[in-house]
Amino acid sequence: MFRNTREGLALALPAAIFSTLLFLVPVAILLSEAFRGTSGGWSLQGYIDFFSTPLNRTVFLRTLKLGALVAGTAAVIGYAAAFCIVNLGPKSRGKVFGMVVLPLMISPVARTYAWIVILGRTGIVNEAITGLGLSDTPLRLLFTETAVFLGLLQLFLPLMIISLVSAMENIPRDVIPAARVLGASWIEVFFKVILPLTKEGLVIGGTLVFTGALTAYITPAILGGSKVLMLETLLYQRVNVSNDFVSASVIAMILIVMSFSANLLLKRIATARN
Amino acid sequence: MKSTLSILALASFFGSAAHAADKTLTISVYSFAQDEYREALYDPFEAICGCKLVVETGNSVERMAKIEANAADPVIDMAVISTQDALALARKDLIQPLDSAKLSNFDKLYDSAKDPIGDNMAVGYTFYASSIVYRSDLVDISSWGDLLGEEMAGQVALPNITTTQGPLTLMMLGKSEGIEGDLSPVISEIGAHSDDIVTFFSRSSELVQLMNQQEVIAAPVGRFAWGSFKDAGLPFAWAEPEEGQAGGMNVMVMTKGNGNEELAYQFMDYWLSTEVQTKIGEMLIDSPANKEVELSAEAAENLTYGADVIESLNIMPAAEVLDKREGWVEQWNAEVIQ
Repeated sequence: MFRNTREGLALALPAAIFSTLLFLVPVAILLSEAFRGTSGGWSLQGYIDFFSTPLNRTVFLRTLKLGALVAGTAAVIGYAAAFCIVNLGPKSRGKVFGMVVLPLMISPVARTYAWIVILGRTGIVNEAITGLGLSDTPLRLLFTETAVFLGLLQLFLPLMIISLVSAMENIPRDVIPAARVLGASWIEVFFKVILPLTKEGLVIGGTLVFTGALTAYITPAILGGSKVLMLETLLYQRVNVSNDFVSASVIAMILIVMSFSANLLLKRIATARN
Repeated sequence: MKSTLSILALASFFGSAAHAADKTLTISVYSFAQDEYREALYDPFEAICGCKLVVETGNSVERMAKIEANAADPVIDMAVISTQDALALARKDLIQPLDSAKLSNFDKLYDSAKDPIGDNMAVGYTFYASSIVYRSDLVDISSWGDLLGEEMAGQVALPNITTTQGPLTLMMLGKSEGIEGDLSPVISEIGAHSDDIVTFFSRSSELVQLMNQQEVIAAPVGRFAWGSFKDAGLPFAWAEPEEGQAGGMNVMVMTKGNGNEELAYQFMDYWLSTEVQTKIGEMLIDSPANKEVELSAEAAENLTYGADVIESLNIMPAAEVLDKREGWVEQWNAEVIQ
């Protein structure tokens, strides 16, 4: 494409310098704090301290659990939605796909506050529950793991659907009918045809949703508060309340490792199915 | 090209010469009500001193971190912070003792504001009461202990232990149960009622929102936030519990070795003057620490005002908060948040 490698390098240089100076170097400096001991040398003490605290362990496991639940649920709903979308006519497909993308154009803060209206004591859900006589008093729905789960799912589900629609569009049109004609049930079609052929989309969508759920701040902060702390809200507390940058760097490092691990794990699972 | 460079060089020279002639005072303050402070304090002071005020804002942690990071060559000349944060800075040798002789308004202050953290390291400029704001149509509050009562279960929010209001709430809950001194039993008690508490908030603005959405019907809050409730349209009331109100004070400190002490004293003295404290009080920004201030009935109603009120406040010594906070946070994380 280029007459020589210099041209290619010259074109990539501004972006490389920008990324290195303004992203990689500051992040490396920040994360190196996570390996600093009290005497100034390198140490893993920050990690030992982090995992030796029961609260931190609870927050770590809760973050992992909610991230996995959100990614798993998004995959289930996402496959169903994506399958419907790719089987629609061109006009309807555009409209429905637009509706899927639309929430991504609305601020996460606004989307999260909508859940307060829905889940609050005087919200739609509680009015329905008390109106139907299912409970005499409004239920506590806000500041629970359920609220955070719903908020995160709504926030990141479009990313999964987009990834899966993109992957399903690449499945040859006659593969699924062929499998059906040859006697495969819909469950067999899904596990033996659709899933193997859309694994790349699932890996991309799963990684985006899982890492998004791990690193989201606004949604857990608003819907969970200090009663449902997640790693990101804990990190914020460490910086803004305790001024504890070492502990915050440790949490940041853990989040990065969790994100990369999730991506590698999903790739491994996808490969294993082959 | 040469002429352009010459003009730029000349402009730069005159610019820097003019800058050197200017007096500049850098202050570090809380973020709230900055437009009002600009009108009541900053602009009039700049006109009087012929100097420029550089105002840095942020939360206490950020502002203290900046003072510490620039200890060798202070960027901030004076700061306003809580008594416990002031004591933390004093223990790190980051602030210097104040010479009361350089503050002409010093004698006008309430006695408790004159040397609140000892060694003349700080001077109080505002008091705040802390009590319980509640929905008077739904509940009646007569004691701090009501917050953990059965009637209020699932409808109460408490301040997080890491906030200024957190330890004050512990102290008053302790008083309601006859616990003085060691507050760890109070934390255990809150932990036992953790499921009954809607959330543990970090900012009064969060609470305003929760109470307006009717998620919470009672919670402890500083009087400085009362204005956000009284005009909200719902029947909110300010409790006068039998154990009394808690209280606190924010103070002025001078960073060590800033080289701008004269101007900083002039600014502090101006802020403590009867004229400015009255103006700030009437604008409902801060309650006065100057006992000569006379406020209108409306302002007095909204602020922590008057010798009787101030002397009756249950104020927790800064040293106690600072010495015990780490242990409280550890116990809180284990028994309450967990």
